[in-house]
This record gives sequence, C-alpha cells and structure tokens, in this order.
Amino acid sequence: MKRWIAISAAMALSVMLAPADAAAQANCPVKIGGVLPLTGSMGPITKKIAESAQLAVEHINQGGGIKGCQVQFILRDDQGQPTVGVDAAKYLVEVERVPAFTGTISSGVTGPIIASITGPSKVVQISCCSTATPFTVDGRSQGYFFRTLPTSKTQAVATAHEMARRGLKKTALIYVNTDFGQDMSRFIKLATPKLGGEIVVEVPYNDNQPSYRAEVTKALAAKPESLLLIGFPKDAVTIVREWLSLGGSQKIALNNSMRVKDFVDGVGGRFLNEAFGMDNAQVAGPTVDAFNKSFEEKYKYDSKGPGVHTQYDAMMVLGLAMNIAKDLTGPSIKDAVRQVHTAGGATVGTGPDEFKKAVELIKAGKLIKYHGATGPIEFDANGDVTGPALVWKIVNGEIVTDHVISIDEMQALFKKIDG
Amino acid sequence: MIGVFSYLVFFACIVLVLGIMALGLNLQWGYTGLFNAGVVGFYAIGAYTHAILITAPRPELIGNLGLPWIVGILGAMAASAFAAWVIGLATIRLRDDYLAIATFGIATTIQLVTLNWDGLTGGAQGLSAIPRPLVGWFETPLGFSLWYLGLLVAVVGVLYWALERILNSPWGRVLKAIREDETAAIALGKSARSFRLQAFVLGSTLMGLAGALYVSFIGFVSPFDFLPILTFQVWAMVIVGGSGNNKGALLGALTVWAIWASSGVLISKLVPPAYAAQGGAIQVILIGLLLVASLLFRPRGLIGEVPVVSRRADD
Repeated sequence: MKRWIAISAAMALSVMLAPADAAAQANCPVKIGGVLPLTGSMGPITKKIAESAQLAVEHINQGGGIKGCQVQFILRDDQGQPTVGVDAAKYLVEVERVPAFTGTISSGVTGPIIASITGPSKVVQISCCSTATPFTVDGRSQGYFFRTLPTSKTQAVATAHEMARRGLKKTALIYVNTDFGQDMSRFIKLATPKLGGEIVVEVPYNDNQPSYRAEVTKALAAKPESLLLIGFPKDAVTIVREWLSLGGSQKIALNNSMRVKDFVDGVGGRFLNEAFGMDNAQVAGPTVDAFNKSFEEKYKYDSKGPGVHTQYDAMMVLGLAMNIAKDLTGPSIKDAVRQVHTAGGATVGTGPDEFKKAVELIKAGKLIKYHGATGPIEFDANGDVTGPALVWKIVNGEIVTDHVISIDEMQALFKKIDG
Repeated sequence: MIGVFSYLVFFACIVLVLGIMALGLNLQWGYTGLFNAGVVGFYAIGAYTHAILITAPRPELIGNLGLPWIVGILGAMAASAFAAWVIGLATIRLRDDYLAIATFGIATTIQLVTLNWDGLTGGAQGLSAIPRPLVGWFETPLGFSLWYLGLLVAVVGVLYWALERILNSPWGRVLKAIREDETAAIALGKSARSFRLQAFVLGSTLMGLAGALYVSFIGFVSPFDFLPILTFQVWAMVIVGGSGNNKGALLGALTVWAIWASSGVLISKLVPPAYAAQGGAIQVILIGLLLVASLLFRPRGLIGEVPVVSRRADD
C-alpha cells in the first residue's frame, strides 16, 4: 500500500513538474490559460463559451500566433466551485507560467481568483461574463482584471445623458432595492451631476408591495421636476400611477425592464407621452456577422447564447495585446490591453485574416482599433467595456425607438464622467 | 521550479484548511457517530463572522468593524460554537438520518441568508478586500503563502495534539461508547445527550475556524463558497482517510483534494485541445472512480481506527 501511494505520488508529481522544465527550454508555444465552469450548474451554457474561446485561439494561430509563436490554450474546469477555480488558476499561473488567462463565469469564483491570484501575482485576467461591480471598482484587481461584457453602467450613463439632453434638471430617483437597482442608482448618481442634472432625492423600494404611496410621497416632497424610475414592470405600474395621481410630473425616465406592453397598458398610454426609457442596443456590423459565420461553420450550430460573443472577444483581446506588449509579462500585457483599441488606429475585425492584418500593423509599429464579435472593444478606467444604448419612447400607447446612442458617443460620455 | 513550489505551498494551505474541517467532522462522525450533513453551514458562519469583524468599514454595509485579525478568528469560533449550540439543542436528539436531514436543511438556510442579507454580507456580490494577516510584509505571493502555511501547520498541530489528548481521555471514551451503543452508555450513567451536544459544538467550532482561516487566506468571500458540494467533499475526506482516526482525517483531506486538483491537471495534459471543452466531464468521472476505488480497496479508510483494548484485558 505504502509503495502504491509513493509510486502514484511520484507519477502525479512528474506530470505536474514536466511543463515547468519544458517552459524553461523554449518560449514557443505561448501559453494562455482558461478557467471556465465546464461542469456543474453552469455547464450547459459554458460548452458554447469554451468552444468560442477555442475558435478564437484557432483564429489567432491561423493569423500568425503571438510574436511568431503558436498559442497553446490550457483550459481548466472550475466546476462552479470557488476552491476548485482558485486552485486551477493558481496552477495555471505558477506551474504553467501563463502571463494571462480568461475566466470565469460565476462572480463567486471570479472574486476569489482576483483577490488571491490575479492581483497579487500580476497576471492579466479577462472575463466574458462576471458582472459583479466591486471587482473592477474596489481596486483589488490592481488593474489586471478586464471584462468584455457591458455592465449596468452603460445603461445608467445613457439615462443620465438622455435626461440632460431633454433638459430634465431636478429629478427624483426611485429604484428597486436589489443588486441591479443599487448598481444602477450608484452610477446614475455619479453621472447625473457631471452632465448638468441633479438627483434631488433617492428612494429605494422593496418589490411586491401593494402600495408605494409612502415612497412616492417622500420623492414628491423634494419638489422634483421629473422622475427616474429603476425597477421592474409590475411594481413600476403601481408606482407611476401613484406618482401621477399625487401630482407628479409626466416627464418620466425608465429603465430597460419597462420596455414591455404590459407596463404601458398598466399605466395607460395617454399618461406616458413624455416618458422615455433606455435599453442596450443590439450590436451589429460586419465583424459581428463574420464571427457568427465562422462559428456556425466550425460547430454546425448557431452562436446564440450568453457569453459566446464576449468570450471570443476576451481571447482576441489577449491575442492582440500579447502581440503589442513588449514582453510577455503580466504588467506589459496589462498596459497593452488598453492599446487594442486606440483612437485613430486602423480598424481590425474578427477572423484569422483580420488577425493577421493586425499582427502586421503591430509589427510595423502602427496603431490598431479592434472591432470584435460584440462591436468595438475599448476598456474604460476600471477595465469595463461599454456597448451602444437605445432610447425608446411611447407614442399613442406604442413603444417606439427614438434613437440609438452609438458606441462612440457612449465612450465619449464615459470619458467625460470618469474624467 | 519556483512556480511548482509556489503552487504546492498554496495547495498545502488549502489542504490544511480542509483538514481542520475534516478533524471537526471526524470528532462528530468518527468518534461520536453524529451524522452532520451541514458542515458547510458552520464553515460559512465562521467565514462570514471573520470577514464582517475584520474588514474595514464601508458605508453600504452594516458590520465591517475593522477589528484585528485575531479578534476575527476568535469571533468566528465563538459564533459557530454558539450557532452549533442552538442548533444542537433543537436537533441533537434526532437519530442518524434525521439529524442529517435537519443539518443539511440548516446549512442550506444559512447559505440562503448569506445570499439575501445584502446589508450584512454583501449578498451575491460577496465581501471583498478582506485583510490578509501581515500581507504587507511580503513582496511576493509565495512569501505570504509560506508564512500562512507555517501558521496553518501550527494551528493544525495544536488542534491535532489537543484532540488526541481529549479523545484518549475518559471523555473521548464516552463518545466512542455512545457511538457504539448509546443505550449501554446511558445505562452506565452517562448523559448521552449532553456528550453528543458537546461533541457537536466542538466539531462545529473547528469548522468555523476553518472558514475564518480560509477567507483570510483568499481575501474574498461570497455565498458561492458554501455550496453543499463542500460538505460532500469533507465527508469524502473523513471516509477515505479513515473515520475515527485524526491522522486519517488529515490524510483524507490531502488525498481527496489531491485527486480533485491533479485530475484537472491530468485532463488538461492528456485530452487533446479540441476536446478540452468535454474534459471537465471526464474529470468528474475520474474523481468518482478514484473515490470508489479507494473505498473498494480500503473500506475502512487509508488509516482506519486503531483498535483499543483495555489495559486489564489480560487479567
């Protein structure tokens, strides 16, 4: 028995030690890590996400790889369990010596990885799917964590912008007391004063109450000229009706959840002619279509699903940044990630040919501007991206699109707010 | 090489934290026969108590007192002991499977509370920026891991020594007597209920301590750290290592966690990259097979319970 243990321990060790020696001998291939919940409750949606990451690696390799080397993608399963994910990431960083990795999906796994590995070890981490705001805001990541999906900040900033454009100066904010509502209100409060408006009062509400008279009365006491309501349709109907019956203004701003007929009919369309709302606009463009096409060609099914497009971009950003970086260390790659989309650079898109073009531009010392499977990718100060937003309004009880705030306008707004 | 060493130090820290939990469960199940299926609940109480006590104050959260690290550790032990005492008073008279159902339910409840009590626990977003002890003294992650490993070795050493002493004392023999034949133990004048409660509280305190040591190593806590799978893993550690033997519990923690971690490495090495997305499933199958094999070949665990014969047996 003892011998059996000793032999198996020795075998396990030799397997674990092998890569470190290989890495010491040659610089090729370049390793990129991946930590994704391939099994567990997230397993079903992760399959396509992992395939999307592999497609990106394939495109990077066909397009010339990283600094002339082929990329080796080492994918580990976090099983949706934080301890497993942390162990996998630690292994990738310490034993495989990856300077950058992608992952993961559940915020509960991403958080401990950032706190205990990404920040302290100074390796770059790009997530396709973790949304919890504190990651990028509270400084634990030391700037090494990025993500390629738009957060609620996009919608909040667009709302503040549209309120300012319509000349709504003194606004009462009523929001649902959940992580979504709190997140939105935090960004609204940050953005509104910088765009010339003022939130005169903020009132959180708990969902599923029969009446919101107390909340509405409190909001009206501050004598606002308009209302910004962040919440969900069922309770929002009650709140808006009470707001109007108590003499509130018909100038009402709403969030994406209210873009449904039930809400408009519940309140009564004729009261909502001055109301407007926000939503994330569908991203479109040739680079998006190119990605969809190559995904379908390879896997024989469509690329619809959460995280599929953002994961492709996460990998491509790593591939481009590692080509731009002067050496393959975490700090250099971190700085290079911000040069993947430089104003005035030549636009490069998705797929192997575009990647090849990008590599040639980088080699020639030229700037690039990456447009990915989710449109243009540019990270803000926190390492978050933005997306285009859509303004809708209500005309004769019907919801119609007013206009789209393009991604370039959004990025200009972000710059204005982040300073 | 330094990378491999650094990883192994990190790995050893996690093993020791899990080992503390396994020691706690071994006291409850291995020695006393208490079927605690809510291990993760007490671990969560310890982890959150520690995080709330020592993290710097934040306007959006109540708690977060910014107290010294050691207060967090002691507070975590006190909180999990108190929780175990209250839960124990209500449930300890339940037999085996009933106790398992009750404790499993309580652990799930605790996890849901941490998910929903946003003001205290940060809800789904978790608590970040939990101070790690003396982290500022070390320039590299390896330095911190080494110091923490030393700390954990000391803690586990003390716990092991203390557990061995009390379990080989008359108190420990009563626990075994209750496990083997509760009626006989009662007939000998021992209050089985009181002893069971003591073992339950003491074991759960260790689980709480493990939780506190885990979050102060990682620096982040969220409700996803406390899914029921962890209870299963700790059980596997005690059973694979050998229940009723503290060395077995620690060896079990090492073995099971090594299987978990190394199977992932093995899959990433052996499965061709094109099939990496399917590798996760193979890893889960591999883990299951290794656990089953270990039980088939070592049904009493790697190190089973040491048979104890009275000194006067020859008389």
